[in-house]
Amino acid sequence: MATRSDLALTQRAATALRESWDDLVRLFANVGFGVSLLAVWGLLTLIGVVIDQGKDAATYAAAYGPPGARLIERLDLGNIYHSAAYIGVLGLILCSMAAATFTRVIPRRIPRLGPVKIDAIPLHASVRVAGTPDEVRARLAAFFAARGWQIRKREFGGEEWTFADKNNWARRGVLVAHVGFVIIATGTTLYWAKGYSGQFAVLSGQTATIPQTGATIALRRFSYRIDPIATKAGVVYQPIDYVSDARVTGKDGITRDAVIRVNHPYDVDGTLVYQSTYGFAIDLRLTKDGRAVPGAPDQPLKEGEGFPIDGTSRSVQYTRFVGTIDRATGGPGADPRPNDPGVVLTAYDGDRPIGSVLVPLGRPLDLGAGYVLTPARYILYSGFQYGYDPGIPLVGLGAFVLLAGLCISLYFLPARLFVIVRAVEGGSEVGLAATTVKGYDVFEDRFRDIVDALRRSAPQPAQGGA
Amino acid sequence: MMDPTRQWLDQTLLEIGIGSYVIAALALLAYFLFRLRVLRAVGMPLAIVGCAAQLGELGARWWMTGVWPLTNLYGSLSLFSAFAVLVFLIFAFKYDLALIGGPVLALAAIALGYATTWNEGYMPAVPALQSYWIKIHVPIVIGAYASFMVAFCVSLVYLLKSAVEAHYRDRGLRGVAAGAGGARVDVRLAAYSSAQPAGGLRADTPATADAAAHGDGFAAWMAGLPSLARLDVMQYRIIAIGLPLLSLGIITGAMWANEAWGHYWQWDPKETAALLSWIVYAAYMHLHTRPAWRGMRTAWVSVLGFGSIVFCYLGVNIWISGLHSYKM
Ligand code: HEM
Repeated sequence: MATRSDLALTQRAATALRESWDDLVRLFANVGFGVSLLAVWGLLTLIGVVIDQGKDAATYAAAYGPPGARLIERLDLGNIYHSAAYIGVLGLILCSMAAATFTRVIPRRIPRLGPVKIDAIPLHASVRVAGTPDEVRARLAAFFAARGWQIRKREFGGEEWTFADKNNWARRGVLVAHVGFVIIATGTTLYWAKGYSGQFAVLSGQTATIPQTGATIALRRFSYRIDPIATKAGVVYQPIDYVSDARVTGKDGITRDAVIRVNHPYDVDGTLVYQSTYGFAIDLRLTKDGRAVPGAPDQPLKEGEGFPIDGTSRSVQYTRFVGTIDRATGGPGADPRPNDPGVVLTAYDGDRPIGSVLVPLGRPLDLGAGYVLTPARYILYSGFQYGYDPGIPLVGLGAFVLLAGLCISLYFLPARLFVIVRAVEGGSEVGLAATTVKGYDVFEDRFRDIVDALRRSAPQPAQGGA
Repeated sequence: MMDPTRQWLDQTLLEIGIGSYVIAALALLAYFLFRLRVLRAVGMPLAIVGCAAQLGELGARWWMTGVWPLTNLYGSLSLFSAFAVLVFLIFAFKYDLALIGGPVLALAAIALGYATTWNEGYMPAVPALQSYWIKIHVPIVIGAYASFMVAFCVSLVYLLKSAVEAHYRDRGLRGVAAGAGGARVDVRLAAYSSAQPAGGLRADTPATADAAAHGDGFAAWMAGLPSLARLDVMQYRIIAIGLPLLSLGIITGAMWANEAWGHYWQWDPKETAALLSWIVYAAYMHLHTRPAWRGMRTAWVSVLGFGSIVFCYLGVNIWISGLHSYKM
């Protein structure tokens, strides 16, 4: 059984907990705190833009020196968008937004109708007019209603107040914007949880498989169009079109013809396949003393791929395809189309490059010690990206809602006029004040126009004036 | 290639555009300095002529070559300067804001001049850019950049005016400390705390007004600029055009990327830099809801925001590798 002192202790702990919770909510709901989080988000994003993402330690060491590279590795700056810090800040922003929405936005933006001290509001005026307060109130209601204001009347302490609202509905714009952001965050989380994406390259005549679904894509032919264009700076070879002519087999086992073109993805069982790049794979033949050597590549190599030469510390990399060798210079020509093609090969000793050479296709290259390497022919390959993202509809919806919220809150200014009419000698005095959700300056001109129009339209009191 | 007559038309419109902007910039800068209506009467029509010539040039190029002219930096920078002048003209006529025309036109002329260095001629688009999305996405994003540029010019005037006010305020306070200007403090306090009368601009630079009343020529010139409150509202209204446009630009960019590259968001430096600008302007909007931050600090955030736009627009292409890489 709990003793009385136990109970008191529990109560004190509960109160302390509650107070701490309230403090935390207050902190999170503070706009300054929210903006600080946005600043941190911006800073992390900037770091991600400046530091090339997803590179290896050697690349960072080359760019920033070993201490810089160590720092990048330790703080996970090379993968910043998926780092705990980045995701954490986004989480905090969501929490902050939620706290602000419930404790500040709703009470501040959607306040109840109540009496105010007219003179204490910076935008205020008083106008003396003829008529009893009741007559004046009726005229005022007609005056504002004719100008599109929504009129409501309430009595407080025996006095009747008139409230005129413009764009009252738009007070919810901030809520809409904040909800939009939450929906986008939910959509992206769905992708992290359930989606996937990847890329692969398929040589003409070969078949590739999407590992997550088992769908296969057989590339029958890849074609491209590159046109020479005369510009002010001379002839430029401009890519015009890339198309993969493929046969795709999905879950149902049926094989279909597919033309996959840039900007026109192909849908296989909900996974979209995109034409993303292309290249020239090279069939490299290696012989020693005229006979084929075991370690030679058994597959055509794509740009950047290489192979070690058996029994030596050396390797050869296929560095780059050259469409047209310039006859005059023997170097690469400007035309990337394979008119008189060659390949740039680079020899490495361990990790160290020891020389590059441009070899015309079909020409044997003597590597010494009886080794001869021949770039025999090129085969076009097509690079695809694929992706499945169940969050897309949510992200799209969220983006739309966010944009709608932005437009509502930025283009429809909710303004409220507080109007009190009191009897004075010879007529009535109309006290008038205006508030908006964006301060007073933004409404100053309009308020002046309203007061001027009111003055002009109202019959003057028997004596005296505003 | 286009025939010589068409090339001539293209070149002539371009020259009219640049020529008009340069003269308009000089006239409106002089108008800013001397407030002579004749200078405004020269500058404003030239701004209109330049903007029309530029839009005409881009339209003519599209019509004559059949190639959407916004696939390179020339086209996009041209549109940027034309849109900036357009946004300026709308605000100048609607809110009587011609005074900021000098910096806007000067920046537009510089942008257009720089654009011509990227004018390669009439290139068809690379495959990735052959999409209807380019016709939607690029003008929207450029419209956002242009709005932020005009807002930036307003912020500069705001900061200038408030720095001058701070200068006169400090001078006034020193005078008070020396026992020479007690009355000034009263005037200032009265102006700051006065309930807003309906009508009239807020006397929100009382120290400058006070110095002007005491015969200070520079202060009198400063006092002739729109009030700080008005400049703040203008800056806010222009950013309120830019932010939804930037949001829509990012959204349409994501939709295009989704169609072209397989994912709507790839953390590519260009799109990420646009997100960075979006964050800065979202922060601006939030700070602007707080009366204590509205003014000097939000003006600085607007300057920072435009810095981030320049970084996103030009800096990323120049300094960062492997970009929005018009990937194909
Ligand atoms: C990054 C996502 C966010 C978006 C897109 C967003 C959007 C907006 C928009 C459009 C407004 C209206 C601004 C105006 O009327 O001038 C607004 C107001 C507001 N936001 Fe956010 N917001 C975000 C994050 C946050 C965060 C993290 C907080 C946390 C404090 C927050 C708190 C508020 C508050 C309190 C207001 C209303 C201020 C007032 O009525 O005075 N928002 N938000």
